[in-house]
Amino acid sequence: MSAALGNAGLLVTLVASSVGALATAVAIIGGNRRALRQAPIYAAIIVGGATLAVIAMQWALFARDYSIDFVQRVGSSTTPTLYNVAAMWSALEGSILLWVIVLALFTGGGALRFVRRRDDELVAWALVVMYVVMTFFALVSFGPASPFAPGATVPVGFDGPGPNPLLQNHVLVLFHPPLLYLGYVGFTVPFAFAIAALITGRVGEGWLLETRRWALFSWGLLTIGILLGGWWSYEVLGWSGVWAWDPVENASLLPWLTGTAYIHSVLVQQRRGMLRVWNLSLLVATFALTILGTFLTRSGVINSVHAFAAGEIDGYLLGFFGIVVVISLGLIGWRGDALRAPGRIDSPISREGAFLANNVVFALFAFIVLLGTVFPLLVEVFQDRQTVVGAPYFDRLSMPIGLILLFLMAVAPVLPWRTASAGTLRDRLFWPAWCGVAALAVAVAVGADRLAPLVAFMLGGFAGGAAGRQLVLATRRQGLRGLVGRANGGMLVHIGVILIAVALAASNSYTHSATLTIERGERVEWAGHSFEFVGVSTEVTARADVVMADVLLDDSKVYAPAVTTYLQQGMTVPTPSVRSGFTSDVYLTIDGNDPPAIDADEIVLRVFVKPMVLWLWIGGAVMAIGTVLSALPSKRSRRPTDPTSAPMPEMQHG
Amino acid sequence: MRRLKRLRSWPSWAAMFIAVVALLAVGSTRDTGPLNPGDRIDSISRRVACPVCDGESVFESRNPASEAIRAEIRASVYDGTSTDDEILASIANSYGGKVLLVPSSSGFDALIWALPAAGLMIGLVGLWFAFRRWRAEAAALGLPSLDDYSLVEEARQRRRGQEHE
Repeated sequence: MSAALGNAGLLVTLVASSVGALATAVAIIGGNRRALRQAPIYAAIIVGGATLAVIAMQWALFARDYSIDFVQRVGSSTTPTLYNVAAMWSALEGSILLWVIVLALFTGGGALRFVRRRDDELVAWALVVMYVVMTFFALVSFGPASPFAPGATVPVGFDGPGPNPLLQNHVLVLFHPPLLYLGYVGFTVPFAFAIAALITGRVGEGWLLETRRWALFSWGLLTIGILLGGWWSYEVLGWSGVWAWDPVENASLLPWLTGTAYIHSVLVQQRRGMLRVWNLSLLVATFALTILGTFLTRSGVINSVHAFAAGEIDGYLLGFFGIVVVISLGLIGWRGDALRAPGRIDSPISREGAFLANNVVFALFAFIVLLGTVFPLLVEVFQDRQTVVGAPYFDRLSMPIGLILLFLMAVAPVLPWRTASAGTLRDRLFWPAWCGVAALAVAVAVGADRLAPLVAFMLGGFAGGAAGRQLVLATRRQGLRGLVGRANGGMLVHIGVILIAVALAASNSYTHSATLTIERGERVEWAGHSFEFVGVSTEVTARADVVMADVLLDDSKVYAPAVTTYLQQGMTVPTPSVRSGFTSDVYLTIDGNDPPAIDADEIVLRVFVKPMVLWLWIGGAVMAIGTVLSALPSKRSRRPTDPTSAPMPEMQHG
Repeated sequence: MRRLKRLRSWPSWAAMFIAVVALLAVGSTRDTGPLNPGDRIDSISRRVACPVCDGESVFESRNPASEAIRAEIRASVYDGTSTDDEILASIANSYGGKVLLVPSSSGFDALIWALPAAGLMIGLVGLWFAFRRWRAEAAALGLPSLDDYSLVEEARQRRRGQEHE
């Protein structure tokens, strides 16, 4: 029953999207306005079909419908309800179904938002593009990655293994993948409008304004999705880190980097009508990289710890990536003349000059991440040997890039458009620069050492001062409304980024760890903290056996790092116990391969003392708030034709 | 106001520069002693790939194979006779060069270092050419004339009029 309903839902989605794409394109070309007005109806059918498929899958997981192969692999009667919901995206077929529903909702949202302009060619072509993308994913979900494929006959009383234990160990798995997918898929809307602008030749700034909030919204969700992934890693994986430069993590970072470059450089186009080709290319790159990232991580060509969902759809994804790139570049080449911008950037020391520098740095960053991710593949192809590129490579190259970006974040907000004089810079940068000095002085006073983190703290203070200056000036003028709008909300996002950068610099540079062997009742002191092994407790459920080592930390509270053995899979997962604080976290784990016995006389405790980790999550929250505020309309909206802030050159009489 | 202006003058910037140099010198040259053994083990194990996992370092992985390598590193660190590079070389000898997470800077692997440098150069040279072209275009146009300003002013007046309607 579930399989029939699910397949029906996917078939409806596939037919509606493909017929919608074809019928709308024919209506545009034939000038059939009546047919054009019907174009959004297909979006409503797509939403209905995809929703039906998801409900069918959730019902199948809830009812443990083991006639379906997917449920046989990820379903289990012992999985708690919440993790049972998340089981849908714990393997390839369900992930693609999640992609289908998110894309359907964005397509429906796009159609609804522009329903009054449905006979406008730009909107109609954008719908065609969204329907084509929807057709591809519906096809993959209905065909090679079908979540409703029938399973082998199972004996009476059969129970599945449930999702991978790592995916039923923390509540964040409910939010991290959907938010990440919302971010990935959301870029389909601005991408569709960009392609529509190229097809119609309306390559001015109109399509940018239409899709600004869509791009910002998607970027914000992608940001939160990535940060929640880091949080999940910190709370679950037990190695005390948030980012390992794993190929799947890199695949999510790539579109974030090009998307971040885009939401900055698009301001230059809105204001000055420039960088049209560059912005289109960034948008195409962002969309294409989501597909390439999915290919790289789902095809199995690159190994990843996240390979929960490897499968056989690599040919489809690679083919679609190729089509997206070829068609987009072809259209950009075709419209080359129309895309040529009439203006010029007068000086590198200007707001637009800083945006350009920002874009070069982000593009270089994306190139490094892509190169490092695919390099093992290149070595295997050209040299027939295996190699691994890991965190030390990415850390080494991303550190100077991060410092340059912090510097640009400090300088860019105070720069006027067109050009800046030395006097302007001296006046506007004065207090931000002193904030940088103060941050450096505090860091040195509390004992920070080594050049790179010290420079990071100084630049963090400098950039924070620049963003704070902008917000103070804006709120003085407009009160609390000074926090709203593209520029001011953007400054709040900058403050969030700075908090994250400083927290990363501190936690990566000054983490200390030790392996302590503690006897029962013994109190051991290390790194200014005391640890007392109180005893071992256990928790037995139908799903898992949990062994917890109770440790009294600093004579105040008992923390219980644990090892959970998932009975269905026979897999043990160590779960850390963390005391979070504003200055540092104390992170405790025990060895998952050798959990202590209930009457153990001693435990081997792994301890990490990690400074400022809490500020990563606070920075993420500030970024999220800033993104929402920057999407709201500000009181004083400038138009591209408004006078710029640079002084006018002397007039030439005559 | 004037006092504020004076405060922002160049001597204040010079003082700031001296403060930054002094603070960086103090902070970056202070002797915090050798790494404690736990931190040194972490630092080395971050540079070694788990030989049987998918893309994890020995530091991150909890696989028994990683635990074995970590134990080897721990023993070498507590032995105290080898440098970090010597410990890494010994592990590479035992498990093969592919367990090292930092690619070498020779042969084909050097590309992973050279290409980002080339990318940076291309970006900088591209910017330099773009600004040179824009400057030449601006110079060819000359300064705006009074007529140009009149045209802009007329356009503004027109738009203001439209907004008030």
